[in-house]
Amino acid sequence: MDLLRHLGNFLVVAEELHFGRAAARLHISQPPLSQSIQRLERELGVELFDRSGRQVALTDGGRLLLTQAREVLAGADRLHALAARLRRGEAGTLRAGVPPDLGGKAVAALVTAFRARGCGVELKLREIGTAEQLRALADRGLDVGVLRHPFDTSWLGLGPVLTSPLGVLLPADSPLTGHDAVRLGDLDGLALVLFPRATAPALHDEVLTTCARHGYAPTEVHQAANPDFALGLVLAGGCVALHDGVDPPGDAVWRPLRGRPLAWRTSSAWPRGRQTPATRAFADAVEEVLRAKGMSPAEGTLPRFPRPAAEYLA
Amino acid sequence: MSAARIRSAFADAGVTGWLHAVDIDHPDRQVAVGADEAVVLASVFKVPLVHTAFREVDMTATALLRPDHRSAGPTGVGGMLDPVTMSLRDLAYLAITVSDNAAADALVDVVGLDAVNRTMAALGLSNTLVVHRAREVFRTLAEDAGPGDLAPKLADPVVLSRLRALDPRRTNRGTPRDMTTLLSAVWLDPDAAPLRRIMGMQVWPHRLASGFPFDDVRVAGKTGTLPTVRNEIGVVEYPDGGRYAIAVFTRSAGTALTLPAADAVIGTAARLAVQRLR
Repeated sequence: MDLLRHLGNFLVVAEELHFGRAAARLHISQPPLSQSIQRLERELGVELFDRSGRQVALTDGGRLLLTQAREVLAGADRLHALAARLRRGEAGTLRAGVPPDLGGKAVAALVTAFRARGCGVELKLREIGTAEQLRALADRGLDVGVLRHPFDTSWLGLGPVLTSPLGVLLPADSPLTGHDAVRLGDLDGLALVLFPRATAPALHDEVLTTCARHGYAPTEVHQAANPDFALGLVLAGGCVALHDGVDPPGDAVWRPLRGRPLAWRTSSAWPRGRQTPATRAFADAVEEVLRAKGMSPAEGTLPRFPRPAAEYLA
Repeated sequence: MSAARIRSAFADAGVTGWLHAVDIDHPDRQVAVGADEAVVLASVFKVPLVHTAFREVDMTATALLRPDHRSAGPTGVGGMLDPVTMSLRDLAYLAITVSDNAAADALVDVVGLDAVNRTMAALGLSNTLVVHRAREVFRTLAEDAGPGDLAPKLADPVVLSRLRALDPRRTNRGTPRDMTTLLSAVWLDPDAAPLRRIMGMQVWPHRLASGFPFDDVRVAGKTGTLPTVRNEIGVVEYPDGGRYAIAVFTRSAGTALTLPAADAVIGTAARLAVQRLR
């Protein structure tokens, strides 16, 4: 039975104490209203109204049940209202991923910036890398993420792509520390410390291709998942590591790369078609925090020459 | 097992990939990796087109392609400067061997897209639809990318995420399994020899063919390329008579126009599949 509808009818009859007036208020005719009340009485096993007198009156049981009926209906209203807010993404929890190397200050700023947007949603952050975030976004373990490009964006909506140009960490006794900025080609003869290729093959290859393009063929590529290990290799001598220059470790020397040939590119991303006010607020907060961190949209696009095998672009 | 190895080869090359491979003479022998997912055909649509053209129209008729009217492209008539008069079957040769957009669109103008879709439906390709010519694909590309020099914008992930040309729901589409169904039909149809001939003359060595560097193995194929999209469908024939229809569709993470590893993994994945089938 449709308990909520019958309870609603019960409420109106109890207020009017007159089936005709109650039916008029409900925009239905009297017989279905009488049937509705009878069905409710059968379902509950309690007579709600005393119809014996001239006027309809609530029974003692009806009066007690009326209070509960009001609460049930109010609870149902709250249920629907919350569901509507959830549908609009205005309530509940937003599960967001952030890259492990975002930095503690940026994470704190991100939480603050998201709260400031006041959409009444609790933010649950998980610190995971790009590949894992993509898996979680696909199987709905995450609602939104902060990801390092490049990745397959064919099924994702993206916030603005912001870049941080990369420099290199050098050991303090390296002759290259004598320059304000280092050319990639000057690094030839040194090894490179880079994140493990399996964690982001496309980015790994992109970095090495760019190094080759600018005349740097690392003598060896050491894979380091942990920034401390990378720093250790640099300090031991003979290799360099890439770093965005925000709070570089004190015992190494950071120098920018001339011409900014390398950059980390970062943006927020969410599965296309699943954007809500909360994911929008998160994407805005990400942009605010990354810009405050000194990141900016990519500028000065290089010429690109498509080859005939591209089949498009005459 | 082979599906897992193929997936890991795709991941290692920085792409997402979908593949179907089938032994043409023993169609119960198959390898499938997301074989029923909708994929962007790109220039692979020229195979349904040319197959339909050889069945429906007199391919010895000639057409005049004028520079100001024909579709543009980097290869074939699309890259030429002067008017060209050519038979329809030679246009088919250019459309398949060098992915000539002008030649392909001239064939569409003769054959019609309805006929292409009717022919594909009759072959049982229920998830394949050709909705526009190469020219319209490039028009939507330019419209969605916005004004200015196109090539740099096509490397911007935000631009790429709004291109209709990369959304299988809004452009020429198919599935890997549909494409191997088409290839099997072409290889089993005695009247389809002209299409088999020109697919065997395709010039590109970097994708499917790169996986089979063996002089006694024949590779016939047709590529398809758009920003981050690299596809090839084709048939690999061994001297012992084994022949395998393979369709590989990929999307690269990297947005660079030149990504040799993403091209080569199409051959690698195809060889892993064929090893499984043999």
